[in-house]
Amino acid sequence: MGKHLDLLQGTLDMLILKAVSLGPLHGYGILLRIQQISREQLEIQQGSLYPALYRLEHQGWIAADWGESENKRKAKFYRLTAAGKRQLQKETANWDRMADVIGGILRTLPEEI
Amino acid sequence: MKLLSWLRSLTKRTKFESEMDAELRFHIESYAGDLKQAGVRPDEALRRARLEFGNIESQKEDCRASLGLRLWDELRADLNYGARMLRQSPGFTSVAIVSLALGIGANTAIFTVASSVLYRTIAVPDSSRLRMLNWVQHPKSKIGPSWGIFGRNSLGETTGSPFPYPLYLDLRKHLPVIEDLAAFKDTPRLTANAGNGAESIDGELVSGNFYQALGAKVIAGRPINDADEAINAPPVAVISDAYWSGRFDRSADVLGKTIKVNLLPVTIVGVNAPEFHGAKICCNPQIFLPITLNPTLDPDPRGSIISNANFWWVCLIGRLKPNISPAAAQIAAETEFHRSLRATMPEKPVAEFPGLLLVAGDRGLDTQTQMFARPLHLLLGASGLVLLIACVNLANLLLARGSARQREIGVRLALGAGRLRIFRQALTESMLLAVLGGLAGLAIGYAGHNFLPTLFEESWHASTLENQFDWKVFAFAAAITLLTGLIFGIVPALRLNTGNANSALKETRRMSLTSASALFGQSLVVVQIALSVLVLVGAGLFVHTLANLRSLPIGFNPQRILLFDLDPPHNHFAGAARIALFRRIEEKLSALSGIQSATLSSEPLLADSMDNNCVRPTGQPPGKPGQDSPFTNNVGERFFETLEIPIIAGRSFNWHDNQHAPRVAIANRKLVQKFFPNSGALGKTVSFCEATDPPIEIVGIAADARYANIDQDAPPTLYLPYLQQDDAWDVTFEIKTAASTESVVKLIRTALDSVDRDLPILDIRTQNQQIDAALTEQRMFASLTSGFGLLALLLAGIGIYGIMAYNVSRRTNEIGIRMALGAQASAVLTMVLREAWLLAILGTVAGIAAALVVTRLLANELFGIKPNDPATYCAAGLLLLAIALLAGAIPARRAASIDPCNALRHE
Repeated sequence: MGKHLDLLQGTLDMLILKAVSLGPLHGYGILLRIQQISREQLEIQQGSLYPALYRLEHQGWIAADWGESENKRKAKFYRLTAAGKRQLQKETANWDRMADVIGGILRTLPEEI
Repeated sequence: MKLLSWLRSLTKRTKFESEMDAELRFHIESYAGDLKQAGVRPDEALRRARLEFGNIESQKEDCRASLGLRLWDELRADLNYGARMLRQSPGFTSVAIVSLALGIGANTAIFTVASSVLYRTIAVPDSSRLRMLNWVQHPKSKIGPSWGIFGRNSLGETTGSPFPYPLYLDLRKHLPVIEDLAAFKDTPRLTANAGNGAESIDGELVSGNFYQALGAKVIAGRPINDADEAINAPPVAVISDAYWSGRFDRSADVLGKTIKVNLLPVTIVGVNAPEFHGAKICCNPQIFLPITLNPTLDPDPRGSIISNANFWWVCLIGRLKPNISPAAAQIAAETEFHRSLRATMPEKPVAEFPGLLLVAGDRGLDTQTQMFARPLHLLLGASGLVLLIACVNLANLLLARGSARQREIGVRLALGAGRLRIFRQALTESMLLAVLGGLAGLAIGYAGHNFLPTLFEESWHASTLENQFDWKVFAFAAAITLLTGLIFGIVPALRLNTGNANSALKETRRMSLTSASALFGQSLVVVQIALSVLVLVGAGLFVHTLANLRSLPIGFNPQRILLFDLDPPHNHFAGAARIALFRRIEEKLSALSGIQSATLSSEPLLADSMDNNCVRPTGQPPGKPGQDSPFTNNVGERFFETLEIPIIAGRSFNWHDNQHAPRVAIANRKLVQKFFPNSGALGKTVSFCEATDPPIEIVGIAADARYANIDQDAPPTLYLPYLQQDDAWDVTFEIKTAASTESVVKLIRTALDSVDRDLPILDIRTQNQQIDAALTEQRMFASLTSGFGLLALLLAGIGIYGIMAYNVSRRTNEIGIRMALGAQASAVLTMVLREAWLLAILGTVAGIAAALVVTRLLANELFGIKPNDPATYCAAGLLLLAIALLAGAIPARRAASIDPCNALRHE
């Protein structure tokens, strides 16, 4: 296993929303999808995944249905709701701004001040 | 959305849990499957998957928490645990619930009565804008003859609500600040006949705009309108919902039906909404009639009061226009009132006009507040005190229990429970107790709210106190339940939390109560005893008052006397015809078998009603004001015989003393002393001051008998034969009989029917009931405060027992050592009892000190006893000390019988 990055505080919800925006997934699938997209660089604590899923469902940003998994077993699939889609857009925009600002600050050279 | 998902997970809890379970299992198994594919051994794969997933239970907890289920789960756990703790000590639990139930029940019942008696408003929309008109009589202003309700303002000036009708008509047109001024007048005791016998009903006379001005609704037909108010308009009536149910079975064809009211045919045109009881807040009149019917229904021999501009009798009510400040409205109304007085008064205005006040009208004409506010507030205070005692008691018992639970709390703290969590647990237990007590209290309050009014009212009257067990009562009961739960729960809950996990586990039971918290418990007992003494002293004073009043010599024999009233309509029986009617009835009744004697009088005795007249010895010049005004009573010839008032000189009345014979009178001893102090009174004459009638000869002297009020000495009284009077108002018949009330009433009804079928018998009661009614307030105080006193005593006993029993069990070890070292059982007994005594004496002294201050407020309600009566205080104190001794004796004996070996092994 290569060196993993720890997840920044508060970003798990955003990643989950992004993961399910690409298509309905069960909890384990979400975990795999995030690791796969991040090219195995991010490690998600398995312990925090399900509380986050329940919280997002409670807030109405994702919805869940029981369906059949790829290996023919019953599994709970999460999908993005309309409210979740708006939330994802908002959070993405926020993230971009935040990344620009922080990045700008960090790249500042002494002579620019 | 959130609420919905919370509720869903709450209501389908099992489904939620099993789905969560399946989901997590799926995750682990999928992961294990992937590991297997990567080449891990199957059993190793599953183990690793589980390990990496982490603690399943704590994740589930986190999932539940993210749905807000955790608080709920903890509450449920707390409740379960609390219920288990309560079940474990059934003695404590039942004491707690019963004492709370009695306290909360008493408060709820009294609040129910208070809320309907003191806070009910006229049931019309937007009643807060209603104003009543009141006049204020300044020193130099004059109000003419009047009929109504009067009071005094803070300056000692007389105020009143009645106005002349012509003045009203003028004001109604011109008063600028009131939207629509309406008039009303209560007119009780109408004789009604709806075709099935005469009965007595209460009425309210209203102006034509009354319904519209107040916004009162009818549920059938139409309200009374302006056309009905015109003089000589066809007589119409609106009846109350209750009368519609009771007399007409809610039949639709009541509209248009004609009934006789005081023998006048009246057409029913409408039925009031059930919640509307007219503009006089006390009563529930059955019939509403146009105000102009007064002269026809109830003619006054002096002429119609409708056209009399100087007879003050109608009450005025209306809505204040919006956007007018109360002060400006007041000034404008008074100006208009003075203008109207000038315009309508027949005599030229006197030196100064009376003032005008706009007072709150949402309770209309309010006689209830004045009558019931003080007693109800007093009772609310007393029952609140009892509830407070119950709270202190419970706090104390919980404290003692809490100390015993230090170890349990220590274990929980050591296992990682948060302090907030333990506090919440303790408070949940208290709240559980409070809610159980509150529920039982609500049941008691419901039973009590029907019983309480019987203490307030004359037993022969239909109840006019309307008690609604409504949401306000529930809110009140819920509020005091939560409050009591907090009061008695919070200190023990805080105490419970002060412990430290280490020391609580290390220390043995005997050491766990710090001296500070023991002192706190003891001072609670002292407070409780002091409050109990306070309630007991109050009860003692009221019981004494009632006994004092009951044992007064009243001067006549009230036993086996049945009373009833007659008030035949004046439009059919007036003057000589009225006297003759009474005479015929008196004769009929006297002839009945089963009746020893029958008589009548213009005033019933001890019924708070009196007739004062200006009379003086013939030829004597006017004396000081008040000196010439004896009480008079117009009576039948067998009055003295029936009531067993001795004639001490001269003769009683006889059948010769009729309208054709010379006028005679009987004076009581007081009057003789006042009028003829130096010489014999027999044969002397007296005269009415303003009359030109021939003088009245005194033919007999009667012993003194009390007249209007039981707590006032017999006043100077002049008895006159009713047969020699020109007219009469309503009269009371007195029947001496050994037979039962029911059988006699039947006889009387038959006898009356043979004279006139249209005469309802009013207010059948015994003379003793009449006396009881005069003592209503005192009896209510005595019985309720005694009940509260007993309750307080019981609670004090439980409190002392609780703390002593706890102390003894706490000191088992110490007592064992003492006894092992040679202390006698009697010495141990004394040692424990001394503590109980000390608490009781401290509490009693504090209670007596408090009572000396508080009972001064009761001075007005007492009779024949001072608020600081030493005997009452001693009795209350001794009673409590005795209870304290008794309650302390049981734990003390237990302490004395401790076996040293056992006690020391105990640890």
